[in-house]
Amino acid sequence: MKNSTNKISPGINEQKNSENFHIALLAAYAIGIHSVEKFIPTPIPWLRFGFANIITLTTLLLYGLKAGMTVTLIRIFVVSLFTGTFLGPAFVLSLGGGVSSTLVMWMTMVLFGRLLSPIGLSLFGALAHNIAQLFLAYLFFVRRLEAIIFISPIIILLGIITGTFNGIVTSLIVRRVSAKG
Amino acid sequence: MATFMDKLLFVFLVIFAIASFFFARELFPSGALVKISLDNKTVYTLPLNEDRSVAVRGTLGENLIEIKNGKARMKDAPCPNKLCIHQGWIERGAIVCLPNKVVVTVGGKEKHLEEYDAVTK
Repeated sequence: MKNSTNKISPGINEQKNSENFHIALLAAYAIGIHSVEKFIPTPIPWLRFGFANIITLTTLLLYGLKAGMTVTLIRIFVVSLFTGTFLGPAFVLSLGGGVSSTLVMWMTMVLFGRLLSPIGLSLFGALAHNIAQLFLAYLFFVRRLEAIIFISPIIILLGIITGTFNGIVTSLIVRRVSAKG
Repeated sequence: MATFMDKLLFVFLVIFAIASFFFARELFPSGALVKISLDNKTVYTLPLNEDRSVAVRGTLGENLIEIKNGKARMKDAPCPNKLCIHQGWIERGAIVCLPNKVVVTVGGKEKHLEEYDAVTK
């Protein structure tokens, strides 16, 4: 992957093409990370690390909302098609969480970008992801408010932990990339 | 790397999550029970989330208590003013039928109902 970037990028002079290429590459990374993450065992079945959010946030920071949303949508559609969950409950939750967290991270970046580092943005993203999924789960699958309210604090707390971790990784990546370019 | 606002946000979210955890526990006490007592003696202890009706026979006659959808009510009572029936469905608190000495309490976990395991003198 690294080699091909270096080989192809200089050949494409047009900036737009190189940007599209990078976005495609980022989408591929996101798909890879999301797929591999599915195989990592977690102590609680529905606990997910959301490592793919590292790529989403990196894309948002480097290329803006349109690119970030493109990467998120490509990832969710491709992974769900490959794993056979397309249009199933997991797909609905994944899409809702992914789209809302991308939107919220972008809005936070525009509004408070000066005050927050990628860690803060990632925290907002994780929170949006969790709230959207809890809402969708209530709307379509669970329909028991007390169960949702009961589980919310635990999910949000876990989201804070994974969100912080993802934010730290993102800020390391962004710093390295901008130092190079 | 992390800004001051990042840390503030992190601390705020952690406190918020922990606070809402206890808030949720208060709001929906797990395993809420319905305790029905007659003349100060507990005759029934039933889970609130299980639909059923029970009858309790007191000095005046029979009180009919119904548990449904996580709520309890006095369905029928032999007392003259029927205050307990008018109280309707409750999720928490108590319904008292004073003439017949029937008390229905809802809420709380098991440990609250039996405050002491044993008392020594």
